[in-house]
Amino acid sequence: MPSNKVQSIKEELKEKIMQSEDAVFKELHTKEKYIEALYIKTISDETVIQDYVVKPFFEIATAETFLAYLQSHPKVKPFESEEQTLEELIRGVAVLFYQDFIFIFDSKVDRNNSVLDTTVETTIQGPQSGLSESLPTNLGLIRHRYPETTLNVESTTIGEISKTKVMILHDEKLVDQDVLRRVKEFLDEVDIQMFQTGEQLLDLIKKSNRALFPVMLVTERPDRVAVNLAAGKVVLLVSGSSFAVILPTVMKDFMASMEDIYQTYWVSIFLQVLRYVGFVTSLILPGLYVAVTSYNPELFRFQLALSIAGSRSAVPYPSFVEVVIMLFMMELLTEASIRLPKAIGPTATTVGGLILGQAATEAGLVSNIMIIIVSAVAISNFVVPINAFSFSVRIVKYIILALATCFGLVGVVLGFFMFLAYMVKLDSFGQPFLTLVQTKSTKE
Amino acid sequence: MNRYFLYLVFLNMLINVIIFVPKILIEHRYNGSVMGVLIAIPIGIGMNYLYSHSLNKFPGQGLPEILADSKHRWLVNLHLGSIQILWFSAGLITLLGFIDILSRFVNPEMPKLFLITIYLAAIFLIIQLPTKRVMYFLEIVLFLNTPLIGFIIYKTLTSEFLSWDSILEVGTHLFEKPSLKAMAAATYTFSGFTNLIIFNRVIKEKLKIWNFIIILFLGVFNLFTTFFIPIGFHGSDGAQEYLYPWISTSDSLRLVYSPIERVLYIFLMFYMSISLMSISIHWHVAFELLKGTFKEKENNKKNWMIMAAFMCCAIAGVLFLNTVLLNKITAYWMILLLGVEVMTVSIFFIWARRRTA
Amino acid sequence: MKTLVKWRLIVISLSAVLLLNGCGFKDIDKRLFVVSIGIDKARNSTKKYLVSLKFAIPGGKNKANDFFIVTEKADSMAEAVRAIKTKVDKEIDFSHAKVFVFSEEMVKLTDNAGVYYWLARRRDIQEIAWVAIGTPTAMDVLKVKPKSEQLPSNALFLSLGKDGSETPYIISEFYFDMKKRLIERGLDPFLPIIEAKKDLLEVNTVGLFNKSKLILNLSQEETKILNHIMNRENKSALWVKTGNIKFIVNTTKIKTKYKIITLKGKQPFIKVSVKVNGTIEETTAKITNEKLSRYEKAAEKRLKKQIKGVLVKIQKANVDPIGFGLRYRSRHFNNNDWEEWQRIYPHLVFKVDTKVKISDTGLIE
Repeated sequence: MPSNKVQSIKEELKEKIMQSEDAVFKELHTKEKYIEALYIKTISDETVIQDYVVKPFFEIATAETFLAYLQSHPKVKPFESEEQTLEELIRGVAVLFYQDFIFIFDSKVDRNNSVLDTTVETTIQGPQSGLSESLPTNLGLIRHRYPETTLNVESTTIGEISKTKVMILHDEKLVDQDVLRRVKEFLDEVDIQMFQTGEQLLDLIKKSNRALFPVMLVTERPDRVAVNLAAGKVVLLVSGSSFAVILPTVMKDFMASMEDIYQTYWVSIFLQVLRYVGFVTSLILPGLYVAVTSYNPELFRFQLALSIAGSRSAVPYPSFVEVVIMLFMMELLTEASIRLPKAIGPTATTVGGLILGQAATEAGLVSNIMIIIVSAVAISNFVVPINAFSFSVRIVKYIILALATCFGLVGVVLGFFMFLAYMVKLDSFGQPFLTLVQTKSTKE
Repeated sequence: MNRYFLYLVFLNMLINVIIFVPKILIEHRYNGSVMGVLIAIPIGIGMNYLYSHSLNKFPGQGLPEILADSKHRWLVNLHLGSIQILWFSAGLITLLGFIDILSRFVNPEMPKLFLITIYLAAIFLIIQLPTKRVMYFLEIVLFLNTPLIGFIIYKTLTSEFLSWDSILEVGTHLFEKPSLKAMAAATYTFSGFTNLIIFNRVIKEKLKIWNFIIILFLGVFNLFTTFFIPIGFHGSDGAQEYLYPWISTSDSLRLVYSPIERVLYIFLMFYMSISLMSISIHWHVAFELLKGTFKEKENNKKNWMIMAAFMCCAIAGVLFLNTVLLNKITAYWMILLLGVEVMTVSIFFIWARRRTA
Repeated sequence: MKTLVKWRLIVISLSAVLLLNGCGFKDIDKRLFVVSIGIDKARNSTKKYLVSLKFAIPGGKNKANDFFIVTEKADSMAEAVRAIKTKVDKEIDFSHAKVFVFSEEMVKLTDNAGVYYWLARRRDIQEIAWVAIGTPTAMDVLKVKPKSEQLPSNALFLSLGKDGSETPYIISEFYFDMKKRLIERGLDPFLPIIEAKKDLLEVNTVGLFNKSKLILNLSQEETKILNHIMNRENKSALWVKTGNIKFIVNTTKIKTKYKIITLKGKQPFIKVSVKVNGTIEETTAKITNEKLSRYEKAAEKRLKKQIKGVLVKIQKANVDPIGFGLRYRSRHFNNNDWEEWQRIYPHLVFKVDTKVKISDTGLIE
């Protein structure tokens, strides 16, 4: 490259970058040679520069040998274009100007590469560590768990400002090409300024931006990622996020915990059934209570009907108001205990759950049976292993409650089946969200 | 064995309790029901076999697609039109019948017009789904309900109040001249195959003979339960007094250890979803046929217009038909259905033979 | 703008739905549950019936469950219920009415069909409610509150249902079965008789109907035998006296079969065969396990005599609670089988064959 061009590039880069305080332009001299380095010190690792550039520079005597050293070093790339260099520069590389060459030296600092413990999807047995916030580390973790040559990694960027790097992982052998195509199309269409984490995609998938159910699974567990890769799914890794996104996902995946693999056969069947029962309970129990107490008390046995009537006799308002009040309190409690620091969290639940519930029945604001129902709903809601999904379920129960208030028992049953129909209608990248028998790759 | 085909036929067997089949059969129990039922079995199985056999030559296609390039456009429209009107009315009768049952047993003080809105909402949600998704949903509904059906039938058969003498007494009227109404009602049990007109889209493989053997056994068992169990519970002379023999039969069962003591409510809750599904399947067929009749491109506005028409019919039905009238109409409608079925099956069989020969 | 319109539509339709609401919505504490219905013949009145409804009052935290009874004289059930509605503050809910008690005087009237069918016509009345005859009056039966009773009328539910006490002296009857028997040719209704004592309810006899009217009351022992013939209850006891030894067989299984045999030119007869398995529970003298067969014979003889007695008594009254007529009809293909049976039944002969198997003498010999 002619030296005047090198000179002009150098000036250009310096001009664009030097107004920020953390930009560094360094010149090194020995008798025979002369090198200049340009980097941003807050995102570059200066010790790396010291070890691989500065030290050899003074140790290697002749100019030719040092040039050979630079050209052969794995962290060094040759210059391609000015824009690309600028792009890389703000991501933490150092630009080296040596003789008539320009080199790009990878000195990116990888700050968040520590592997975190799982906090959201905890299991009793099995691996306890999750993903980290660093993209290369995550890719490494997954490659480690999925040593297959067919594992294909592509990358793209999302976000106008954030320019977040996103990696698309899939097993070339197992993936459904149709799904892969849809995923890529979807990623190309994403129009967003700041892209921070994979969870944002959950809302972007719907054109209206008002999705009720997640159709992709966000996970922090590398083992879940590996298992899903083996099932032919596509995995997205987002730079700076310790969560991976798995697509396509269907109802079955949301109801599965990684624990199912780590338990014996009957135990995992039992756990699965338990989750589905919990899921249905949390959906319909409030609605069912209203429908049965206010429309069809003949559904109960006589003994139960009488004791419910007895416990409700002091309550001054209709059953659906009672249910709404208690559910509202419960939602507040759940929400509050997420926000509170870990140390005070239990206090809130004790005060809210125990004392408030006790006092409310004593005061005759709600019936005893109601307290049992609300706590049963709350507990069974948390049985759903994936949080994103259990949040959705929390909303649906209000819809069923409203239908029950208007239509009674018919409202509950039809509400439940309308909800099922809605889930059957949903699709996740061409896969129906809910089917009884999950057939592989059905093209519709 | 193709499970989708079985589901369709099985659904019709379940729904005949709502669509007055037991009432019609029991009404004619002393004059020709038994023989009518016996004749209906081979007719039903035969039509099942012929129709699905000829449709099977066009795997993965519904009738509108098969007939799309036919030259006799008006004939095709007549063919599709008659089926869609019949199938729409099948759904309508089920809907009206079940709304009547609900307003009698579950929500007696609620206006029927109000009750029907939630049903229509649910039905319209389902019929707009792609055919394949409707099938998936049907599978889920049947999966959730089949254990309950099995349990209720087990309970009735083991009840000490099931009088086999009453059943046999009706059985001794075997040699009466078969009644046409009863025979038509009994063939309704088997007529789920007509749904294949559209649902053949999801059936890709050949139907084996096993399907028909299973249908035979299911059908015989189903006819036995719909016809004879109410007689066993309410007597050979008394059963016909009930407007809904099977609903009253389910109320005659008592679950001593269950949280819900009265089987009636379990039965009704289970039929809420089964009837929803049956109406949706029938209307989905009518809806798709109607869309297929006009060769234009699909647009949302047209779909909404069709559904508005469906809704108007349903509301008019609720306003103007009472149960007794509906019951009478159904008896004649069954005969009409049988006639049209026989005609459709034979015409299509001959047509398909010529086409593929 | 378009979404706004859409939202407005949704809000309007939702509020319409909420406004429409209120039809049928009635909380459980605004309802009064009827637990049992009693119907007597009205005395000193131009009206025909005296209808009493027993309502349950739900107990609170420190309050036990209680009940109250409202009565009304009327010519029909519907009339009576309408009148009672004006006397109570809450909506009357019949969905938990599980016992209907008719007084003996009332069931001796002939035209009660209106009352019997009223129960079936109403959608909210269970078909699985029990029906019974109350003495001295139905009202007295409703009033009784046994000491062990926690919920109103629960004692009645438990004794008529099989989930409480199990005894061969109670033949309980569900309403739907009674209705079947009211109309089925060849099968007649029967109702258990409940006797109200001061703090107790005694159910141990049964009344037989000739379709619409009570004709015959069976005694306690006869009730037990009828129960055996109808295969309703396995746990029972046989009192046998042979020589000067009296012993009691505790039965574990009783199975009765019968067959109507009409041969040409011969007198028609019914062959009844009864199989009993059991153990000896009490005896006045020592019985060894070796000699059991002798006692089995004695028990067979005794049982045979009892069964025959009951069958003949029923036949004499020309009622048919067991359903011989229905059996005859179901085995004959001709259309006039019912008329034939009516001719045959009065001079039918019963051939009873009993088989008693005593397995041991209990824990000791």
